[in-house]
Amino acid sequence: MNTSSIIRSAVVSLLTLITMTVFSVANAATINLTKCVASMNKTMSDGASVNFWVFGSGGMSCSGGTLPAAAIEVGVGDTLNLTLSVMMAPMEPTPYNGHTIHLHGADVSTSEDGVPDTGASVMGDTYTWTPTAAMAGSYMYHCHVHTVKHLEMGMYGPIIIRPKDASGNFLNQITSNTATAFDYVQNYVFSTVDPAYHTATGDSTVFADYNPKYFLISGNEGKTTSAPAVTLAAAVNKKVALRLIGIHSVNSTFQIKDSSGAAKSFTVYVQDGRAWPTAQSMTSLDISPGQRFDVIFTTPSTSGTWYPQITYKKLRDNAAYATAYGKVTF
Amino acid sequence: MQWQLCIRLIVISLIGCLTLPTQAATRTYTLYITAGSLTVNGNGGATLSAWGYTQVAGTPTFPGPTLTANEGDSVTITVINNHNINHNFKIQGVTTDTTAIAPGANRVYSFTASTAGTYLYYDTLNNNINREMGLYGMLWVGPADGSAKAWTNGPAYSFQRLWVVGDMDKPRWNDVAGSGGSVSTSVYKPNYFIFNGKGGFDAMNDTATTIDGGVGQTALVRIINGGQFSYSLHFHGNHIQVLTLNGVRQTSPYKQLDVINIPPLGTADVLYPLNQLGEYVMHVHTAQMETANGVYLNGTVTMIHMH
Repeated sequence: MNTSSIIRSAVVSLLTLITMTVFSVANAATINLTKCVASMNKTMSDGASVNFWVFGSGGMSCSGGTLPAAAIEVGVGDTLNLTLSVMMAPMEPTPYNGHTIHLHGADVSTSEDGVPDTGASVMGDTYTWTPTAAMAGSYMYHCHVHTVKHLEMGMYGPIIIRPKDASGNFLNQITSNTATAFDYVQNYVFSTVDPAYHTATGDSTVFADYNPKYFLISGNEGKTTSAPAVTLAAAVNKKVALRLIGIHSVNSTFQIKDSSGAAKSFTVYVQDGRAWPTAQSMTSLDISPGQRFDVIFTTPSTSGTWYPQITYKKLRDNAAYATAYGKVTF
Repeated sequence: MQWQLCIRLIVISLIGCLTLPTQAATRTYTLYITAGSLTVNGNGGATLSAWGYTQVAGTPTFPGPTLTANEGDSVTITVINNHNINHNFKIQGVTTDTTAIAPGANRVYSFTASTAGTYLYYDTLNNNINREMGLYGMLWVGPADGSAKAWTNGPAYSFQRLWVVGDMDKPRWNDVAGSGGSVSTSVYKPNYFIFNGKGGFDAMNDTATTIDGGVGQTALVRIINGGQFSYSLHFHGNHIQVLTLNGVRQTSPYKQLDVINIPPLGTADVLYPLNQLGEYVMHVHTAQMETANGVYLNGTVTMIHMH
């Protein structure tokens, strides 16, 4: 390499660096959100009332609490400052008093990880994460205090990391790969409910045995195809992305079936917020507690209805507990 | 100058050829099967009746002793049944002989370690009761040259950790089988989740279990599940790279996950790159499996220290 070419490449590198810096600063957003914890009673399909603790918005007055909590969308390169206020929050007695937020899958530093056992405050904090392009996909935020109870109580919601265009707008793609483009997108949050865990506190022997009675998609039971947990009105010949987010406590298998029960193909692009080296199409996908998958399917050319569904299964032998149904019309 | 360099390289290569070839070794193990007990310390803990292996006749250890070999080694394992019921010995994916060994008898298993990886040995008899009582352990096979790689020319690691997970149902299985009773195997509600023979409170402080090293190092974690429940293991701090899953070697680039599900009798080899400072947890993400009889974090939990 001669002197002029060295200088030339140095100048090019410097310009690239300046461009990238200006560019990223111009389009990187800072997202400041404050979450709080509210008590919520939910009437289940059998008429029983179950008490949940859910994340809402605001500090002193907590509003908008839902099961699961509202999804948080963050662009690649953006900075999320997620603040938890525990004022007025329902909580357990010591040693499991208070709450935290863990950014599940974010691999943030210890101080942002929200784990009391590694030093996190349980009396409120701000958790910061700046995801990179390689991290586009689905995550969760959930409480990490006495998780055996607090997850069960409903303290969870999706975090979606989205690629952005040159102007800083979200792309309708799972990742920067254009093969992951979609026309419609919906979050499917999988969870299970054992009511005994909702009334027990502390180191009770109740927490030694898990007997789920309710099986949810995005907070609803969806026990039949005629009463689905979630619905989506799409169109024919379109791409539908589903964010499959597992915060359940049993085994499970996800499928998409048509109205005659035939399993339809879908393609997995991302697992746990990292693109698979090779996308893979399948008709059945096992999802274990804590896992997330970003999948896409294409609706057919004639109108109809498909049912994305999850069968919750026992940890010992995969015997089915129950199936919960979603619904996509096109 | 260039000639000198060439000659030097040739000489080095020749020396390498003369000294590097490794001799396939003979590995001989003796495993005694006896009754004993397993103690989970700390709140929620208990002493459970258990059956296990030991390399010198006496008190069994949990999990069973780790067996190791390099590819090409001849391995001979003599299993001596010092217990009062039939047992057998199978290394999943390696041996096939499941003949019962009567009380007082012994049996010899010989094979050549052929494929680097992580294997589960266990007792297949008695409708899962023998295994549930503690009769399982790990065999890991390294590359022929014994180097710190997952397999010959495979991914390198700085240090490795061996994780053996499993579960026990004290009131319905261990108490009953331990006193010679008949276990009703249709019901299984494990209340102890055993991590390298310990509860979580001990596993979090056990240097043979915790991932502990300097930033820039890479840990190879070999995982086997001797239990009857699936273990959905969640890593904080960094994603893992999955090298093998249930005996199937993956191809590069490897999937990067923060949760890996290990089914009953499942195995996995994963890399954990130590890439940032701090203290992190690794835990099962399944409600009761984080507890010892309901006591939080005395189940399948350990620590990751990066410094």
